[in-house]
Amino acid sequence: MSKPRKPQPCVQIEPELIAAATGEATAAAAERVQAHVATCRTCGDDFTRYRAVDAVVGTLRGETAPAADAEAARARLTARLADLKSRMVSYKVFPSPLGPILIAASEHGVALVEYLRGGAADSRLFRMEAVETQEGGGALDRLHGELLDYLAGRRTRLEWPLDLRFARSEFERAVLQATSAVPYGAVSSYTGIAGDVGKPSAVRAVAQALRHNPVPIVVPCHRIVGIGGDLVGYAGDRLGLKERLLAVEGVPTVYARSRIAREAMYHYDTNPLHQYCVPSCGTILTRPLGQVKLFASRELAEAVGLSPCDDCRPDLHPLAH
Amino acid sequence: MGETVQLDEAGFECLVTTHHGEIYRYLRRLAWRAAEADDLSQETFLRAYRARQRLTPDANVRAWLFAIATNVFRNHARSERRRRAAHDTVRATRRELELNGPEAEVLAGEVRTLTETTIRNLPLKQRLAFTLRKMHELDYDVIGQSLECSPESARAHVFQALRKIRTTLNGHALPSTEPMR
Repeated sequence: MSKPRKPQPCVQIEPELIAAATGEATAAAAERVQAHVATCRTCGDDFTRYRAVDAVVGTLRGETAPAADAEAARARLTARLADLKSRMVSYKVFPSPLGPILIAASEHGVALVEYLRGGAADSRLFRMEAVETQEGGGALDRLHGELLDYLAGRRTRLEWPLDLRFARSEFERAVLQATSAVPYGAVSSYTGIAGDVGKPSAVRAVAQALRHNPVPIVVPCHRIVGIGGDLVGYAGDRLGLKERLLAVEGVPTVYARSRIAREAMYHYDTNPLHQYCVPSCGTILTRPLGQVKLFASRELAEAVGLSPCDDCRPDLHPLAH
Repeated sequence: MGETVQLDEAGFECLVTTHHGEIYRYLRRLAWRAAEADDLSQETFLRAYRARQRLTPDANVRAWLFAIATNVFRNHARSERRRRAAHDTVRATRRELELNGPEAEVLAGEVRTLTETTIRNLPLKQRLAFTLRKMHELDYDVIGQSLECSPESARAHVFQALRKIRTTLNGHALPSTEPMR
């Protein structure tokens, strides 16, 4: 059964008719509808019907959920927002004289300062649990400015609120606190820090804690050196950074003490003939330092009873200094 | 931390205070169950919090929140549809929304229920456009942004919805209305 066809003018005016009946038409359109409705009974009925539908809809608009429900929902939202804020860490990668540096801060303070080698995606920030990361945040730019001032020697303190959530234990936090107390331009040792936190024998643990320092520069682990005065380690194998940071503070460093020197030193790998080698002898240069002894000169090696290796002949091909 | 963050936090608190009630009511209209509306409104504001730094000072915050809420609901409706299809569970069609308005009693219950059911069974975009326009009185360009369509399409969705409601109510006595405004 086919419906009776509406006359063309009625079909054309229908959208405007609905609009007019539901209070959405422009004045001009409303006038056109008025004129049409005055002459067309069917559309007049349509119009009245749409007015009634609009009234029904208006009634539904007046319905609201109980206020108590909305309040309860709001309370739960407040709790979840607080939880989100506590997990939220904003970060940004900045250029610096020491290479790209990532700075990350939570609502409590700076949580991470990290020397980046690759892109930001390699940051340890993204391996942390219970953290939600977010790029950007105006406050980070200010921190970057202060950091640049510090690295240029225009500022001697970074008085940033810290969030040590990425320290892995209370002991590590204690070590970081003690390290923070070492003043600008001064140098302490791992042994000294171990004493400061009341665990004088935990020297290696102190070194480990500082190796994981989540906020280098701010917590100045670069001011902590080995008991012999050697720089020991920094940011993985980037001892040069430690030297530069100390240099900013006017602490003199001996180039040969920090980075050295393995390729510029004679090696002794325990052998029955008590022979020492140049570093290019076989694979000796790749052997762990724990197994090998290093000597700055042939004289020092021979002073402890060693003799030149028969293969690499350090006596015939001494290292150039 | 610095002043900027502080300002952001206070600003966001204020935004929640101003808009939570309305966004909650919007989602309550769309959702099947009250608990769903609760979750969805939380999701909306958590998303807004994450995205707050991208909000420009002159932005229309209300329109922005409605767009997020609409998006959240559409994602939810999509996964809900999949879940329902997968489990073939019995549908909970009963609406928990309590009537609270003074006009509620004026209207014959049958007409109201029919209208509600019709709205509920509209294609999603029509239903969203209709709800945004007729329940929350948003502009068509704002609705278009929420639904990722043109203002004209948004208007067409609303009119389609009205046509369907009208058809459903054929043969039912409706409250009489005053002459044309």
